[in-house]
Amino acid sequence: MDIGLLAVGAGLAVGITALGTGYAQGRIGSAGVGAMAEKPELMGRIILLVAIPETMVILGFAVAAMILLLLGGGAGG
Amino acid sequence: MIVPMTRLQIVGHKRDLDATLRALQELACVQLVDAPNIHATLRPYASGAEHAEMETLSYLQARLDALLALLPAQPVESEQPFADVLPASPEQTLATRLQADLDAHAAALETLAQQRQALRNDADVLPNYAATLTKLSRLTPALTELSDYETVALLINRRYAAVVDLLAEEMRAIAGERSLLVSDQVDADNIGALLVFPRAVAAPMQALLGRAQVSQVSLPDSLRNVPFRDALDHIQQRLKSIPDELAVIDARLAEAARQHRSRWLAARQALVRRLEQLRVRNHLGETEHTFVLVGWTPQRDLPKTLAYLDQHLPDSALVAQELPPASAEIHAAPVLMESRALTRPYEFFLRLFSLPQYGSFDPTTLMALFMPLFFGIMLGDVGYSLVLLAISLYGLRRFPVGTGLHDIFRFLLMGSVWGVIWGFVFGEFLGSLGHDWFGMQAWWRERSDPEALAPLLLFTIGLGAVHVTLGLALGVWQAWRARQSQHLWERGGMLVGLIGLFLLAAVATRRLPAGWMTPSLAVVIVGLVLLIRGLGPIGALMAPVELLGVVGNVLSYLRLAAIGLASVYLAMVGNTMAGRVGSLWVGVLIAALFHALNIALGAFSPTIHALRLHYVEFFSKFYEPGGEPFAPYGAGHS
Repeated sequence: MDIGLLAVGAGLAVGITALGTGYAQGRIGSAGVGAMAEKPELMGRIILLVAIPETMVILGFAVAAMILLLLGGGAGG
Repeated sequence: MIVPMTRLQIVGHKRDLDATLRALQELACVQLVDAPNIHATLRPYASGAEHAEMETLSYLQARLDALLALLPAQPVESEQPFADVLPASPEQTLATRLQADLDAHAAALETLAQQRQALRNDADVLPNYAATLTKLSRLTPALTELSDYETVALLINRRYAAVVDLLAEEMRAIAGERSLLVSDQVDADNIGALLVFPRAVAAPMQALLGRAQVSQVSLPDSLRNVPFRDALDHIQQRLKSIPDELAVIDARLAEAARQHRSRWLAARQALVRRLEQLRVRNHLGETEHTFVLVGWTPQRDLPKTLAYLDQHLPDSALVAQELPPASAEIHAAPVLMESRALTRPYEFFLRLFSLPQYGSFDPTTLMALFMPLFFGIMLGDVGYSLVLLAISLYGLRRFPVGTGLHDIFRFLLMGSVWGVIWGFVFGEFLGSLGHDWFGMQAWWRERSDPEALAPLLLFTIGLGAVHVTLGLALGVWQAWRARQSQHLWERGGMLVGLIGLFLLAAVATRRLPAGWMTPSLAVVIVGLVLLIRGLGPIGALMAPVELLGVVGNVLSYLRLAAIGLASVYLAMVGNTMAGRVGSLWVGVLIAALFHALNIALGAFSPTIHALRLHYVEFFSKFYEPGGEPFAPYGAGHS
């Protein structure tokens, strides 16, 4: 398979999941900061909530790595 | 470590209540709980006279705080108790003495404070008046001083210049020839106008100005009776005299602070202590002649507490004894954590999340092992780690033990040490600079090498597998210890299912012979069955999802590689850009900027991700949050 297409695929895998993560973290973060203004002791919980969507981009990274390692290796990249 | 707690019960005659509460306040190692909830036959302690005293003392505390706020802060000369600083006759209570003390000095202090506030207001406001009057000053020589006439000054934007002629016309209609309007441009944007008219027509003139909606230049209250043309001189004289007057008032306040502040601070402390003694009565139970007090105390402090009560209340009829909690009540115990220096920072991170329930597993030791390790793997650069090490050492000296920042720097110190080790493992010093300049070789793999990606990812997944499995094993142990069968099935099922999946993965990657396929599948199925048993009616639906969630948790440790790769590539970009600009100094500047950014990210991002791996992936397998922090009665003032 063309190495360029593989690279685009890997980029999309990370990029789209990063957009999703960013959107979710933005929403959670803004609500979290609002909550923290009222209750500063919630900081740990809010870090946790903000960090949860990161799994998406990490899985995107895993898919990108698999595309490059498993398919890219076969294409001679 | 979660300090073992026990319950203390004290039963005594009501006449000994005050002395008992004073003694416990001194000890500051008992957290009181509602005694009537423990002994259903007791009625809640009814505080009648104490309630009135509490109201009086609260009022006095508010008054005292207000007066202390007026006084400039000064070092406290002595920490003598209020009673020693202000001798009084024995029949006077704290409240009456303090009331008399405050009454004697409050009025003078409040007057001084009001005068100072008025002076400060003038110092803030008068320059604005002066600026406006300076603009109008060219018009004032046209005025003559007439006793029955009133002068009004206006500032009108140039765009509304036509208003001046209209006003002149209307004013003549109201006051006839006995009025005067002079106007001129006072600055680039405004026209100033002075209107002089007889006092007799002041009312219709004010109505006219109101209708015209023009902004009048009104003089401050202190200059109300000063003629308009003299106002500017008055203001300037006043502004000159304000600093001297302020200095006099400040000196008097400083003198008052020297005389009263340490005494009032001592009084405040006595008030707060007494108020605490009164408020804590809400937790007590009573019978006709006795009070009953129950509280949690660390087991190790119980003998000390009993001995102290014996020694300080020798003539009282107190019965103080341990009231061992039933197994169902032990989870309500407050949590007091006590860690060694190595694990203390992780108490801080645990508090950020939530304290563990009393009787559950305290994960600070495991956090002390894994958190800096994860941090080091992500950072993995000798140069960055040495810089962070130096910053951490400075931070540890700068911030005292017990503060959150001290704990964070201690964690960074441990993380940096791991960062140096992993820096050698990956052969990184400021990215690829160590390799390029000093021929530094990786002990294992260079992360920037594409060939290293697969082993690095596998290594982080392996680390995740170990961490998550450990979490599940702890969860199983905890559920078994607490006899929570549902949790036991659930966590046991996840653990068995996960082990089955590891075996399947090993077979798929030919690390185990193909003959292991069937037993591995069987282990997964056994895990799913256990999970279904633990999850209840919806188990069949949720069990595969839960098991997949655990796999997701393991994959989440890929971030250890991902964050590290981002850091190493950023360092390489900085080094490459710096090498290509052609100028040594510009190159050094670019490299310094990139590496400074990378160090800042390298301190922040791995900390957050190491925390997240613990909070989300690790704790969700065994941790029981929701512990109530131990807050002993009297601790705030000991």
